[in-house]
Amino acid sequence: MRVAFLQGEQVGYVERSGTSVEAALRALLAGPTTAERKRELTTQVPAGTPLRSVRLDGGIATIDLGEKFAAGTSVESLSARVAQVVLTATRFPNVRSVRLLVKGGTPLGLFPGVVTRYPITAKAVAAPTVPPPTTPAPPPTGSESDQIRALQQRLDDLGFLTRDAVDGKAGPRTTSAVVAFQKWAGLTRDGAAGPTTLAALANAARPTPINRGAGHRIEVLLDRQLTLVIDGDRVTRILDVSSGKPGFETLVGSWKIVRKEERSWSVPYKVWLPWATYIIAGYAFHEYPDVPPYPASHGCVRVPGWDAEWLYRQIPFGTLVMVIGRSR
Amino acid sequence: MRSLVPALAVAAILVAPTTAAAPPTKTPGELLVGLAMPSAGFQVGSVRGREVVLAKGFEVDLARELATRLELRRVRFVNEPLFSTLLAAGRKDWDLALAQISVTPARAKRIDFSAPYLSADQGVLIRLDLKRPASLAALRSLQLCAERASTGGQLILDRIKPTRKPRLLENPSKLSYELFTKRCDAIVFDAPALAVLSRQAPDRYGPLVGRIVTNERYAIALEKGSALRPRLNAALRALAADGTLERLRKRWLGADTAKLPVLR
Repeated sequence: MRVAFLQGEQVGYVERSGTSVEAALRALLAGPTTAERKRELTTQVPAGTPLRSVRLDGGIATIDLGEKFAAGTSVESLSARVAQVVLTATRFPNVRSVRLLVKGGTPLGLFPGVVTRYPITAKAVAAPTVPPPTTPAPPPTGSESDQIRALQQRLDDLGFLTRDAVDGKAGPRTTSAVVAFQKWAGLTRDGAAGPTTLAALANAARPTPINRGAGHRIEVLLDRQLTLVIDGDRVTRILDVSSGKPGFETLVGSWKIVRKEERSWSVPYKVWLPWATYIIAGYAFHEYPDVPPYPASHGCVRVPGWDAEWLYRQIPFGTLVMVIGRSR
Repeated sequence: MRSLVPALAVAAILVAPTTAAAPPTKTPGELLVGLAMPSAGFQVGSVRGREVVLAKGFEVDLARELATRLELRRVRFVNEPLFSTLLAAGRKDWDLALAQISVTPARAKRIDFSAPYLSADQGVLIRLDLKRPASLAALRSLQLCAERASTGGQLILDRIKPTRKPRLLENPSKLSYELFTKRCDAIVFDAPALAVLSRQAPDRYGPLVGRIVTNERYAIALEKGSALRPRLNAALRALAADGTLERLRKRWLGADTAKLPVLR
């Protein structure tokens, strides 16, 4: 039997000995082992959640869990734990769907975004619940100024911005490029081009790869929250990104791209991941509306909207991606 | 000695009738509370038929605190699948009902209301990466969104008068998703519900920038002519005075939307 834990933005199954739905659920509630946690397998089922009863009837598994199962307020966590239970139980051929009960009753509003009034199928859990987002309109920009144009030109020269973004107008794209530079230079990540940042910019050289190598490759610097796009010895672009938050750290190592999806659906967290390039398991580069200057994701590498498609095209299948914990 | 007991009880009633007598509930010693689940932050839980086996949220805790104040030992909850049932005229099997019920003159003809426990103006929540609008005029050129047939949608047309056609969506969950994916610049909805939304998934939206005053107030519904009302209002006043109401609001609903700047 297999149990549905989480790995990055997707479900990661692990093998357990046992043959019953109840045994699989008990293994799920017990959580990943220490060794599995080292492989970044996680769970959103609260520790100590009691299994009150399991009943099998005509392909429907009625699973009654204790109150603890509904603890917490994070929408993502609540929907992920329901997905884990349903996907674990429906791996058994005699279970078509799961009727979920909490403390003996039908949940109402305990799991936002999940319909729990009727038995839940694996297909319903895995299917997108919302339409895919269209590419958002370009961010608004301020009035033109030579000062901003000079700043953008400098950021472009160093690889933090692209030529088409040099328009003399302040906006989120320029702010993000300033943040990327501040991350590289070890300055305060506030996105403001103040005296310290401007002085550092004036003296800066284009970043160089952390590891020697040849050909086209990518480096993700977790400590700096940056992604370097590299050709030979030259860093062609430096991107402002946000990787996995504590407990969901992006997996350090060297990976080869094996899966790419223009529109990828995160089954446990119920969210679209546009322009997703999977590094390994459930870990991907993808577009996200919010790219804060600190690690914030479930293990993926969030890329701002204006760079996401470009990056997607820069990482063909087989591209080497090195995730580096310490870059200085 | 035995004959003394009834005499003492009678004396107590004569001296302080409002504090010593048990509150007039349907079942003595028990408060039976009507709900209309679910509503994020306010009341969610699980049910077997009408019987609520698990309930949590601002209004659930408020009902429990009220019962304590009223010196009722037991609180039970029943769920009304239809909100309109709570508001219908006639006898009720519950003692009181909480379900973000706004006080309106039309409703007050069919049921009695307690003093209000929460002010619920309309709030404006904006998307990420948008310059904070400081006035209604600054909202005019944005893509505004609201729930279909809602106070918010009407407010957009009457008060904001946007230059772009507002988008009216089927339910609050669609509304929040469109804001998350930036197809709406700002949404107008009940301010306390927006505060809950932005707290549930803080990295998906920009800030709650302000409110538009509508003077809507949530109050507790009682059967018409309920004798419980004076005691209930006294208990509500006490919970407001000792800070309990504010503590519960903060715990379940997050930011105090009554303190948001008023957008004019």
